[in-house]
Amino acid sequence: MTPEARFRAYMHAFNHSDWDALRSHYAPDIRLVIGNGTELIGREAIVDFYSKVKQQTQRTIEIVQCFADGNILAAELESEFLALEDVPDFAVRPMARGDRYYINSFVLYEFEQNQYTSIRAAVFRRLFRPIAAP
Amino acid sequence: MTAPDLRSWFEAYLAAFNRADFPGFGAYYADDVVFHGRAAQLVGRQAVLDFYRVVRTYLDERVELLRFVGAPAGDRLAAELRTTLIAQRDWPDMPTGPMRAGDRRESTAIIFYDIGNGVFTRIRSARVSPNPEART
Repeated sequence: MTPEARFRAYMHAFNHSDWDALRSHYAPDIRLVIGNGTELIGREAIVDFYSKVKQQTQRTIEIVQCFADGNILAAELESEFLALEDVPDFAVRPMARGDRYYINSFVLYEFEQNQYTSIRAAVFRRLFRPIAAP
Repeated sequence: MTAPDLRSWFEAYLAAFNRADFPGFGAYYADDVVFHGRAAQLVGRQAVLDFYRVVRTYLDERVELLRFVGAPAGDRLAAELRTTLIAQRDWPDMPTGPMRAGDRRESTAIIFYDIGNGVFTRIRSARVSPNPEART
């Protein structure tokens, strides 16, 4: 499987909340830096983080582009969060039920064999769409 | 260009940038390059060079390649760069925040470069946020 095909399988697992499949893509000591700078260490920390996010919001990630070179894959992603409940302590920003938050991000995935060892994300564009305009 | 060629080509661009070789790094931009930097949104090689000429009157700017990803087709690349700015004089209106002479600022960004006909046609930069727990 190419790194690009494996990445698409990884994103499919993410979008379907297939946590067991997601875990299999991560090295045990993986380090993930999300767009706000928070660092998560270890596959369980990542799955715990995303499973909580998915309880609070509906999130789908689309791959705009991805390509690999050696043991690094670069991806441009588009995500939209839809708040399923009021989430005042949401990782990105406080959200009220029905609010939407769009991000366009650049991410670098380092891997060894079939597992990601380091993921670093940076937000290129962000757009908050409140359910009710102020 | 193959991926190794792309990397050496890109490293030559960074080297030209670091020594403020304007003709050297300017040759990497398409006439109508679209530049989405953190400090400026610009269109056109001349606009980008004009911007950096102003920057260089205030700052010493150096970039360091941390990670490189070249697309196999040679039409795109992504890089993680660390930028170090050292103010040579006060710049109260610096687009990403005022700096005083002697100030040093370091940041990291993931940047996507689109390539056509051997030059950059679009450059987009996204800053990697510092770890919030490490902030003072």
